[in-house]
Amino acid sequence: MTIRIDTTINGDRMEIDVDPTLTLLEVLRENLFLSGTKEGCGVGECGTCVVLVDGEPVTSCLVLAGDGDGANLETVEGLAQNGELNEVQQAFVNTGAFQCGFCTPAMVLSATALLRDNPQPDEEEVKKALGGILCRCGAYPKILEAVIEVTGEGA
Amino acid sequence: MTTYVGSRVARVDSVDKVTGHAVYGVDVALPGMLHGAVVRSPHPHARVVSIDISAAEKAPGVKAIVTGKDFPQLFGSAIKDQPFLAIDRVRYVGDPVAAVAATSEREAQYARDLIKVVYEELPAVTDMRLALADDAPLVHPDMHTYQRGGHDIVPHTNVNTLYRYERGDVETAFAEADFVFEGEYSAHALSHVALEVHVAVAEYDEYSGDYTLWVSTDRPFFLRDDLAGGLGVDGSKVRLKVAQVGGSFGAKGVPIAEAIAAVLARKTNGRPVKVELTREECLIASQLRVPAIMKLKTGVTKDGLMIGRSADVLWDSGAYTAYTVGVAIRGSQTIVGPYRIPNLKILSRQVYTNKGITGSYRGYGTTQVTWACESQMDEIAHELGIDPVELRLQNGYEEGDSYLNGQIMHGVGLKETVEVARDEIGWGSIDRQPAPHLRRGKGIATMIKPTMTPSSSNVVINLGGDASVQVICAAPEIGSGQDTVLAQMAADAVGVPIEDVSVPATDTALTPYNGPVASSRTTYHMGSAIVSAGAEIKEKVLALAGDFFGVDSEYLEMRDGEILDEDGERLIGLKDLLAKFHGEGFSLTAGGRYSSAGSPLLKADPGEEWISSIFWMFCTQAAEIEVDTETGAIRVVKVAASADVGKAINPMTCEQQIEGGVVMGVSNGILEDFKIDNGRIENASLADYKVATIQDSPEIVPILVESIHNEAPYGAKGIGEPAAAATPPAIGNALFDAVGIRIPDLPITPEKVLDALAAKEAEDL
Amino acid sequence: MKRLKDFAYQEPTTLDEAVAALAEGGDTARVLAGGTDLIVDLKIERLLTTAVVNIKRIPGLSGIDDLGEASRIGALTKVTDIEASTLVAERHPALSQAASILASPPVRALATIGGNVGRASPASDLGPALIVLGASARIRGTGGDREELVEALYTGPGRTSLACSDIITDFIIPKPAAGCGSAHVKLGKRGSGTDIAMAGAAASVVIAEGVITEGKIALASLGPIPFRATNAEEVLRGRPAAEETIAAAAEAAAGDASPIGDIRASASYRTTLARVLTLRALRAAIASSREVVA
Ligand SMILES: Cc1cc2nc3c(=O)[nH]c(=O)nc-3n(C[C@H](O)[C@H](O)[C@H](O)COP(=O)(O)OP(=O)(O)OC[C@H]3O[C@@H](n4cnc5c(N)ncnc54)[C@H](O)[C@@H]3O)c2cc1C
Repeated sequence: MTIRIDTTINGDRMEIDVDPTLTLLEVLRENLFLSGTKEGCGVGECGTCVVLVDGEPVTSCLVLAGDGDGANLETVEGLAQNGELNEVQQAFVNTGAFQCGFCTPAMVLSATALLRDNPQPDEEEVKKALGGILCRCGAYPKILEAVIEVTGEGA
Repeated sequence: MTTYVGSRVARVDSVDKVTGHAVYGVDVALPGMLHGAVVRSPHPHARVVSIDISAAEKAPGVKAIVTGKDFPQLFGSAIKDQPFLAIDRVRYVGDPVAAVAATSEREAQYARDLIKVVYEELPAVTDMRLALADDAPLVHPDMHTYQRGGHDIVPHTNVNTLYRYERGDVETAFAEADFVFEGEYSAHALSHVALEVHVAVAEYDEYSGDYTLWVSTDRPFFLRDDLAGGLGVDGSKVRLKVAQVGGSFGAKGVPIAEAIAAVLARKTNGRPVKVELTREECLIASQLRVPAIMKLKTGVTKDGLMIGRSADVLWDSGAYTAYTVGVAIRGSQTIVGPYRIPNLKILSRQVYTNKGITGSYRGYGTTQVTWACESQMDEIAHELGIDPVELRLQNGYEEGDSYLNGQIMHGVGLKETVEVARDEIGWGSIDRQPAPHLRRGKGIATMIKPTMTPSSSNVVINLGGDASVQVICAAPEIGSGQDTVLAQMAADAVGVPIEDVSVPATDTALTPYNGPVASSRTTYHMGSAIVSAGAEIKEKVLALAGDFFGVDSEYLEMRDGEILDEDGERLIGLKDLLAKFHGEGFSLTAGGRYSSAGSPLLKADPGEEWISSIFWMFCTQAAEIEVDTETGAIRVVKVAASADVGKAINPMTCEQQIEGGVVMGVSNGILEDFKIDNGRIENASLADYKVATIQDSPEIVPILVESIHNEAPYGAKGIGEPAAAATPPAIGNALFDAVGIRIPDLPITPEKVLDALAAKEAEDL
Repeated sequence: MKRLKDFAYQEPTTLDEAVAALAEGGDTARVLAGGTDLIVDLKIERLLTTAVVNIKRIPGLSGIDDLGEASRIGALTKVTDIEASTLVAERHPALSQAASILASPPVRALATIGGNVGRASPASDLGPALIVLGASARIRGTGGDREELVEALYTGPGRTSLACSDIITDFIIPKPAAGCGSAHVKLGKRGSGTDIAMAGAAASVVIAEGVITEGKIALASLGPIPFRATNAEEVLRGRPAAEETIAAAAEAAAGDASPIGDIRASASYRTTLARVLTLRALRAAIASSREVVA
């Protein structure tokens, strides 16, 4: 069985037929080849599968495909425009806020969403917003530095 | 003079990683690809009586099913004790028994559940102390018949590694000592939790008999040889292509998903097979840190001079030895710490148990022994009334000291690491106690780590006609910034802009041999090879330029892609120079090789040269923590983390390693805790095996100490591993400073803290 | 990766359709709200389902409203929206606090209040807060609508008195009286934040002239369901809102707790936490009684 979903992904509106027992993560990675979104645990604990749904970071491994209908989805692939990194991505590059890079798409997306809502978060707010994404390489100090750099409050 | 070496160059993998374009092992997808699923043992120890695949064979989408009898060879590094799939026995909960390949992963998982295995349970031994007992069930009754290297085992027991070391006369030293300290400490099993799970795609060519695998690994050639061993073919029949690695920390070196994918691919008529473990499978059936129980006895004079130490270390390899034998031997040596202790006696034994395999984990044994060594150092200091910092400075190694085997050590920045960490944390004072139930304290710990010695690295550097440079080597980017520091060194060695340098992905059929990206060895070893190959390229280019301008190339220099004359004036750009060869085509290659074997630096007392290390790493951490005395919860407030890296090729990537090590150390030390019942891991999920988040990450101040090592490329040593080891003891020592208790058995959980506080209160009454 | 087993999937657009679909699906049909429990339970095969009824296409099931003498929170209201609501923060601090520490932001943005109660986890964060606030749930089932106190819904770990075809539509929380305060605290293994509770406590108090006229305490991960610590509540009644009272109630709460030892904590440690967390929840509830907008 498939259902048709009408969805916008990184600004492109599309209608796709999907198996409703798939998760949004599977649809993104396997049906749409947007492999920037990763799976690290499958049960919402690691946060590497975060995508933005209507601007909010959610763990896409826990969302069924049907909920993509009518949604505005953003994945890491949509952040850079015309070969230009967005300011969070650029700050991640400047400060070295990643190591293996596996959590980076989720971190960058979540930080981007945070800064849209709250352009001047303090360190505690940044930590809280990113608290659901694991980075086993421990890039946390530089991730924090990168997000603060975007606010213009950095040293 | 260097342009790139020593500066905070942005990582060369930056854009790929922040845009999500980087292709990891899990992202590899090939046309016609099948998906695998694995049947695993539910028992810690059992005989496999029968395997019924009849229902699974008929399930939708199924293309192949394999069981252990299809691949009866054993593989392993020090002991060949492990099959790809259980042959007649399962030895841990999670031991792979059979595997299915189907057109989709869902079908594979569905069919997997239809395979019926009948087991006959056998008595299991799941506790390393009990594994030593005379009547303990034997995990490998045939151990003595297995192929193995030169190390000692105790046949017909579970002891798969026996190692003794003695120097001086420890008994006399204990008799002469004013104080003798004895303690028992333990370090627990940990999962690496690389966020990318274990994964592999394998393809088999029936005509040539060649296997090709797309993998995520930190040690391509070791893995290739292990795979070849298990498949029963020659190493040359196995080709590994390495994708981006989503973290390793020592985990991704032994065949795990790779083994299953390869055996399935053998039966799919050439269709590639992807095997991607679930997180649960990674937690129960990949590799864990080797747990250790460490008895430590140290004799000290009343002035704090350490004169003798004995250690009795017991390690738990789990069901198969994998890379644990080296951990048990090398690791136990480092329990002496970075201290001059003339009289030593070490006994190290490792046992098999019916638990998941263990292996290398960031630090290769040092995370365990540093916990014991540095906890006891703190006890000694407090008992003697000596400042813990002073005790370490008094006994610590200095430049030119000899290591326990007599090797003269160079590039020893230990004491500076202690001093800068001490100063940064504000040693000796607590600004304020935040509340009656919140107590702060500070603690310090240091450590020493050798690197795998001897080992070699090889590189081919190619300069193309477009002036681009390819650094062709088998040093996969596992996250620690290899590609960047190798590109920096190559750019300087050749004399080209770093933008023109690339480090292509590892492919064992194309890239020359390299030891593992492990043991903090890549910068030093591959760097050395790059420096020599780069110099050769530069020399050849300058010779061309010399011919062209009619000057002796000796008077020419190339830097950042420009050919310069004697006075540093630009003669021509490299691109323009090479354009002259456009018609005929151009490519210039040079090979570089570095091997530490036979280096005069390794000279040591006769028979003990093998203990030498081509360089030594030191790191110190001072931690400030806050203990909630009502709940026992610990918050790590700040860690001042210094590391002697030799020359920092890229200070930013060095900081990344230090910061990452501290975060991992905090996580290892106070959060991560497996609950194991009769060999079964009960919390095989990240919901219950807790890893530090950004909210658990303390303020970390990384400090680089640069003690220059003369044989090293630009003076660089290594940095990847050490930081993770010093954090738990620094926290443990800070706990004592805060509330006067010690927790000898890691991890330091809130519950243990409360129990110890209650015990202390009862004692104080 | 772990794949979901096959199931039938429906997206009804009215409550009646949904109830009918569930009734037809029988025992193994499940309501899908945020999915943060359901999808996990399906993946780890704690649960098998043949039919998933996604209720998010039914209008009117989310939102927070001021009904005057009560607040209404739709069952599909996301935990993040509860966390962000000033109405909830001002009137019902316990619920606001519980929402702000439930899971992590990307899970909270999916998780719903109805799902939290529907899952009936003994470790629930919202459950204890809803209980001390006297919240009730409005339910639509095959037999029509009814309203039940949240605390009466829980029947065992993961079990409620709801029939398979029942759907919680919204929650009604009485407006607090003057002098009323409430708070929620929990402790997870990761003391820092994002974590399931090793133990949790919510408290509400009504204080008149320095005396606690009524106090409620509810505990999580300290028994098979989120439940009221009745002996501790008894200790509070009619006593001064002072440290000795709180300490005595906290002691009593430890007695009310009947924790098990499991992979997260031992029973004895949990008993200690029952005392400490009750103490902290009560202190905070009393402090908030001066601020709550009645
Ligand atoms: C990583 C992670 C961390 C978590 N941490 C916490 C935590 O700290 N604290 C905590 O309390 N919980 C936690 N949870 C659990 C979960 O997020 C919450 O319980 C959440 O509120 C469930 O809501 P949901 O909408 O996702 O429920 P769903 O998964 O959609 O549903 C849960 C159950 O309730 C039923 N149900 C849902 N809505 C209704 C309704 N309207 N009427 C009747 N039945 C209904 C479903 O059929 C299902 O049985 C965590 C979960 C994850 C994945």
